[in-house]
Amino acid sequence: MAQVIANGVYLGAQYALIALGLTLIFALMNVLNFAHGQMYVLGGFITYTAYGQLGLPFIVALLASGVTLGVIGALIEKLLFRTVIRRSVREESTMLLAAAVAYFLDAVILLLFGEKQRGVPKIVNGVFVSDALIMPYDRLLIGALAVLFIGAFMLFMQFSKPGRAMRALAQDRVAAQLMGVRVDRYSMIGFALGAMLAGVVGGLLVAITGVNSGIGGPISIKAFLMVMIGGAGVVGGAIAGGFILGMIESVGLSVLHAYGDITYLVIFAALMVFLSIRPNGLMGKPWG
Amino acid sequence: MDKLLTFSDVELYYDNVHALKGVSLDMDEGETVALIGANGAGKSSVLRAITGLKRIRSGEIVYQGERIDAREPDEIVRMGIAMVPEGRRVFPYMSVKDNLLMGAFTRIDRTGITATLDMVLDRFPRLKERYSQAAGTMSGGEQQMLVIGRALMARPRLLLLDEPSLGLAPKLVQAIARSIVAINRDAKVSVLLVEQNSRMALRISQRAYALSTGRIALSGRSSEILNDERVRHLYLGGEL
Repeated sequence: MAQVIANGVYLGAQYALIALGLTLIFALMNVLNFAHGQMYVLGGFITYTAYGQLGLPFIVALLASGVTLGVIGALIEKLLFRTVIRRSVREESTMLLAAAVAYFLDAVILLLFGEKQRGVPKIVNGVFVSDALIMPYDRLLIGALAVLFIGAFMLFMQFSKPGRAMRALAQDRVAAQLMGVRVDRYSMIGFALGAMLAGVVGGLLVAITGVNSGIGGPISIKAFLMVMIGGAGVVGGAIAGGFILGMIESVGLSVLHAYGDITYLVIFAALMVFLSIRPNGLMGKPWG
Repeated sequence: MDKLLTFSDVELYYDNVHALKGVSLDMDEGETVALIGANGAGKSSVLRAITGLKRIRSGEIVYQGERIDAREPDEIVRMGIAMVPEGRRVFPYMSVKDNLLMGAFTRIDRTGITATLDMVLDRFPRLKERYSQAAGTMSGGEQQMLVIGRALMARPRLLLLDEPSLGLAPKLVQAIARSIVAINRDAKVSVLLVEQNSRMALRISQRAYALSTGRIALSGRSSEILNDERVRHLYLGGEL
């Protein structure tokens, strides 16, 4: 039992970090970033290259993933989303754009890194063993780092001036403008930060599960699942959604294992029922 | 002497709706000027044009000798114009403290911000009691005090108020009116007050403009307008 919970928390921390990036972009810009999973994969490959290939320290590789994705996110916002949002009167336009970005990144990743599953040498060796729990040290470390990043992100949003500006923008766009917040600048910062989070998780998980070019889509779907469970555009919702999905997955893998690979079948069925009862998720506000 | 704010022949459209039809008005430093008129007369459009939220089609808006009609909202705030929007618009999930700090978003003088914060909390002691509470959970009157305080955090020279009495009980309207008078008098902030509650607006302002379907229908000293039989009939209804 302790094992299942520990696995759930470990998974949940990664998931929450992914969902936070997605929900931040949604809250600020009303954009559903379908390319979030691809950004995660790109982050994974950058850490793979820097740490696995070039032999740089893992933390440096992680930093490289975060910074690169941050820059890419900022460029995507400035060059693509900003123009489309300014010119289009239909919200669907940004969804199509996000889907296009996802396919584009998929192609770029395939071209640069190939279709092989890639892994890296263990960052730390050894396994933590106690009566109730067996957990490799590298998983403990990655889980701890993920929790640390979640904490840092929340402190940044809560107490820094840019964080406050982004919360204000999400809560009342016009009022935030009247306070002197520049919508385009903070949309770019927010998009960069969201992409950075995706890249960092990709880098974290490459140390455990490795990375391959095909998992971007499935990761995006998981991210959307979490945001739907927790409620779109709410920080607490993203974190709750992440940990809930991580926990369900962990429980599912140990309990439902006997019946075959049906964990996600059960999750999707449960989600449909859940959303028909609470369409805005656990903490969501009605859209619009 | 230079005027604080001047509108010359301002035209403003929402798509095909002609909201301001050649509006000219002005105000001096230190004045409280009221903008009255029925719903849809264009009062809020005047404020939206000043803050840069809405571009004007033609005409000029000059503030302290500079044209401001092509500037972005954040530049306008930096120039010393703060706005209290209609319907209050607090940041509902933020604490009172964070709402107030957002008001000082364009300022970088840390000690100055703290001083202004103390001043605002002195003026509205209620906000001190609610300091850590989420703004969206407060009453309408408290929220109105918060958004006025939030605007003061920018340390403005010109304060724009859009329907501050809307939806408030008469007693609270009195309190808000008293605060506006005090802000104008003690803090030397000029006030442009948009109100449907014409009686209150005329009582606390020195001059007033009455808008009717996008045009200035009438202007003059507030005390004279308040006592004008014809105006009473047109703008003040039966409530006098």
